[in-house]
Amino acid sequence: MRSKYALRFLALGYLAALLGIPVALVFINAFQDGIGAAWEAVTTPEAQHAFYMTFVMVAVAVPLNTVFGILCAHAIVRQRFRGRALLNAMVDLPFAVSPVVVGLALLLVYGRRDGWVGEWLAEQGIQVIFSTPGMILATMFVSLPFVVREVVPVLREIGTDQEQAAATLGANAFQTFFRVTLPAIRYGVAYGVVLTTARALGEFGAVSVVSGKISGQTQTATLFVEERFQRFDLTGAYAASMVLALLALATLLAMNLIKPKEARS
Amino acid sequence: MSIVIDSVSKTFGDYVALDDVRLEVRDGSLTALLGPSGGGKSTLLRVIAGLELPDSGMVRIAGQDATDTPPQRRNVGFVFQHYAAFKHMTVAGNVAFGLTIRKQPRWGMLARTARSRSDEIEAKVDELLKLVHLDGFAHRYPSQLSGGQRQRMALARALAVEPRVLLLDEPFGALDATVRKELRAWLRRLHDEVHVTTVFVTHDQEEAMEVAEQIVVLDHGRIQQVGTPRELYERPTNDFVMRFIGPVSEIGGRWIRPHDVEILLEPAEGTSEAMIDRILHLGFEVRVELSLGEGESTWVQTTRSRAEELELAEGQIVWLRAETESEPVSA
Repeated sequence: MRSKYALRFLALGYLAALLGIPVALVFINAFQDGIGAAWEAVTTPEAQHAFYMTFVMVAVAVPLNTVFGILCAHAIVRQRFRGRALLNAMVDLPFAVSPVVVGLALLLVYGRRDGWVGEWLAEQGIQVIFSTPGMILATMFVSLPFVVREVVPVLREIGTDQEQAAATLGANAFQTFFRVTLPAIRYGVAYGVVLTTARALGEFGAVSVVSGKISGQTQTATLFVEERFQRFDLTGAYAASMVLALLALATLLAMNLIKPKEARS
Repeated sequence: MSIVIDSVSKTFGDYVALDDVRLEVRDGSLTALLGPSGGGKSTLLRVIAGLELPDSGMVRIAGQDATDTPPQRRNVGFVFQHYAAFKHMTVAGNVAFGLTIRKQPRWGMLARTARSRSDEIEAKVDELLKLVHLDGFAHRYPSQLSGGQRQRMALARALAVEPRVLLLDEPFGALDATVRKELRAWLRRLHDEVHVTTVFVTHDQEEAMEVAEQIVVLDHGRIQQVGTPRELYERPTNDFVMRFIGPVSEIGGRWIRPHDVEILLEPAEGTSEAMIDRILHLGFEVRVELSLGEGESTWVQTTRSRAEELELAEGQIVWLRAETESEPVSA
């Protein structure tokens, strides 16, 4: 009995020390100069623009990675081709590679001076680095694996019986996918979307490298927090952090709401 | 519609699933593919459905070459062992699936026509649910049904598209013994009503004998024998079929049905001496276990009245005579 309580205490204490207390302190510090000051700090034009940029990142990266993630999971689970194992391993790359390295890698490809295709793109009038497209690419890169990793096990679990049944009933590949496969994996897709959103909201390293951090232009919410912090505007930094934390919390809450009843504990 | 399998072979890597299989299934018949697991029976069924492509050979359905026709256009109904229910659809939705994707209202179709189509589908679904005794379950979800009900729903779904052939892969394999027995009898009656050419896979010889008009015995990817249940039981073409269909005993190095052995109290020509080890009373049937000398043992099935008449007792010496009628034709 005692060991049971000790274990529980250990688990909760660990969580409190690592997550609970720091996040709680962010909330407390955000309001150290009162609610009015916190509100003002996150409604300045720069702050609004930073949240708008974060919204753009999420709005582009999440749908694209969702579509790609479903296609990719389908290829990994349902199809047999050379390089399938390689594809499966590649998908995990963003988990393994540090976001800063991702940022630098993007510079090497799209950089205007000595990037691989950057020069040619610049001649066409397309600026990738220090601009929105590069930031979107960085966000997409780091948030790529989530939908794939959530959908692959679900797709494996449902098996091929339902899809084959649909085929014998006359459904073509398109009808089978939209009427049978997609509804069957919908919870996996939804979890993947939630995790992708949370990751895209919080991305800092890769975006930091490729954005150039131009305030009011290429600054996302996380970059805004860093800038405020470095300028000793602690209220601004903590207030923006709090908004980010609340957004992440809302996403996770959404995940719990969409969970099927039987999976809820 | 008739099905003709002409020299079909199929391998998976090194494993030979079907080896030059030739078979004819008559229009309107009820056929069982019977054999041990890994014998090729499911592969054969999936080849007929178009879910597997044969490496060589030809599949003809209703006289037409269907070898390269995709499953969508074969017009076959397929029932899976684990039901393959569309879990996110109601029972009615499942049954209507094949109809709704075929008769989707097109752009430009008059609203009135579209409505009459959906009424048509609804009526058809009602009729099918009645046929499989699931009327009243239309708005439930598969998770709210028992295994037997789910399988009947799957059957209604397969029948909805009015298939030319109905294929069932171990349809009762996942059900418990009582439900299995019920559904067997019910499938038989359903076939009498619907008359669609039906092929089902089973590894249970009793199930095959009880339901099918024609049994195809498959082992190691080859057809061992095709015949009526009675033909297979009484005139098996080889030891495998003999042992797979019904019980066997070994006396003097040959296989025989245990009820085709006569127990005599006196020696006679063509008899073997044996000692009774045990007598088991199984109701009407009495099972006598005997030793034949040199460590060989066998068993004989007899009736209660016969055992009483002979006053059989454990430890008694008797003589066994094989009735030659069901002697296996050597392969």
